[in-house]
Amino acid sequence: MSAPQDVVVSRRWFLDRMASISSAAAAGALLPASASGAVRARGAGVESLPLEAYRGPVREGVQADPTEASLAETIALVRRGALHPETLVEAYVDRIERFDGALKAYADRPSRSSLLAEARRVPAEGPQAALLGACLAPKDNFYTADLLTEGGSRVFEGFQPDYDATVVATMRAAGGLMVGKAQMGNLAGGRAQVYGTTTPTTRNAWTPDDDRYSPGGSSSGTATAVAARLAVAGLGTQTGGSVIGPGNRQGLTCIKPTFGRVSLHGVIPLSYTRDHVGTMARDVLDAAILLQVIAHPDPNDPRTLGLPGAPNFVRAATPFPGPGPAVRWPTRIGLWPGYLDQEDPAANALRQALVDRLGRTGNVQIVPEIRLPDQWEELTAPPLGGSHGDPTAFFVEHLRRDVRAFGDRLPRFLNGMLQSADTYVKVQQARMLLLHRMQTQLFTQCDVVLIEGTGPFDGTGLPVLGMPIGTVMDEEAGREVPAGATVAALPFGEERLLAVAAAWQAVTDHHRVRPPDPVG
Amino acid sequence: MRTPSERPPEPTDEELDRYILTRYALLGIDVSVLPESDPEAPMDLVRLLENAREILRQDVVAADFEIDPQFHLPVPYPAPFTRWTEDDR
Repeated sequence: MSAPQDVVVSRRWFLDRMASISSAAAAGALLPASASGAVRARGAGVESLPLEAYRGPVREGVQADPTEASLAETIALVRRGALHPETLVEAYVDRIERFDGALKAYADRPSRSSLLAEARRVPAEGPQAALLGACLAPKDNFYTADLLTEGGSRVFEGFQPDYDATVVATMRAAGGLMVGKAQMGNLAGGRAQVYGTTTPTTRNAWTPDDDRYSPGGSSSGTATAVAARLAVAGLGTQTGGSVIGPGNRQGLTCIKPTFGRVSLHGVIPLSYTRDHVGTMARDVLDAAILLQVIAHPDPNDPRTLGLPGAPNFVRAATPFPGPGPAVRWPTRIGLWPGYLDQEDPAANALRQALVDRLGRTGNVQIVPEIRLPDQWEELTAPPLGGSHGDPTAFFVEHLRRDVRAFGDRLPRFLNGMLQSADTYVKVQQARMLLLHRMQTQLFTQCDVVLIEGTGPFDGTGLPVLGMPIGTVMDEEAGREVPAGATVAALPFGEERLLAVAAAWQAVTDHHRVRPPDPVG
Repeated sequence: MRTPSERPPEPTDEELDRYILTRYALLGIDVSVLPESDPEAPMDLVRLLENAREILRQDVVAADFEIDPQFHLPVPYPAPFTRWTEDDR
């Protein structure tokens, strides 16, 4: 059994790498050819998936409704000839046409006929068949040559790129079908809204008849599409919790990998140093399969170059064979201070059940309450834990054109104009200090940690995974809604996170519970 | 000469507002198109300035945070420079 990558990659090297990325941002990283499309993205590094991706059992009854099949089940069925990509497309488009009027998950969609034509061209074998017609929902900040890319904002209203983001091109090259561009919070902040207003659009799939309960932001539409079976899986982006947040609110399993694992070329940027692409799926194996497809170096994004190659995420996400449930590698799981001390007794009970179950899992040692690194509060709270200058630098021309287009997000984009140079330098220094202490003080106590918010892990580029742990009653919505757990790891610790989630999902069914369909 | 603990009086909200609006104008950004005060609007001038003042005052927190000027992060060892120089000859 080979060691997971988090123990073989130099922590000093990652610090050095992130410091270089910070310097690159200050040295003039530009909006990557956003308007000109001068550099054309190509599918990067499409390879055959590990065989584990196709070997999983397929649940009975899934073929009767292919939208119920997970991504792993879908590609297993297509590979065996038991399901055709055209049938998949018909099933998904039927559901989208029936329910998206209520759920409002999508901003733009291709026609049924064009999707069917694409489905007919999906090859049956080889690297170009890794995703075998899987119906996917990228967030609306990924460039798509055939669909609008508006970033959930009036700022980009009507924007039609002339090329695909690298990850979109990669998924297409692997046989994936983009069934729509998923709605998102205004310029990757908050929940999706009618442009120029604060009126919500996308609904949480678990409260389809009530827009008061948030779908989470900013990858709202992708989360709703995947949870409501309007897509089998999707991509979000995370600068401050925007993949894990909506995923946890909608019962999904999502992973935001280490900074640089996945190309950001052709993604509307928010921060050169904090943006991440993450996969959003119905279970851990699906999240790993999609990550395996898109985690490649991209010549168009220098942040992805020179990193350790992607390990076998799919294997890490499969249950570890043995007499009982076990995590694939010996793993110390730390608990954030106060993790089991929530105000809501129901939420607390779910967390307690998670910790108890993991504690009885092979290869696991629970570290009851980790100690936070020195000066945690100062280093993680604004201003030192912030990133004010980052979005401003990308959007000056848009700000000069008309500030009203930014709606309620205007302060986030203007604030960089006010932050002094000495504060900006101090923020960069503090971030490196935080990353150093997280590696030398936090992750010396444990290998992964159950956390509350993702902010400090986004700012330092560390991998994070969210997974469902049950449902709780939301009093306002009057419905059961999902609760999730969030786990973080060292740089390149994705395998470890996937292995923990795989052990949890091997003995629980929370990831198989689906929300109700909208009425009418 | 003041000691470090004796700081000049803090600027007032009005003084900061003038600074903020001047700064935006200098950079060619016109915020006067926003409504003055309209809680129903996605953004108005009152909220924008309130947020901006907070950001400016956070600079004081950053300035007060001391990082040892002699502190440095551990670097990869052995350093990669030798190899790079050979390759690049």
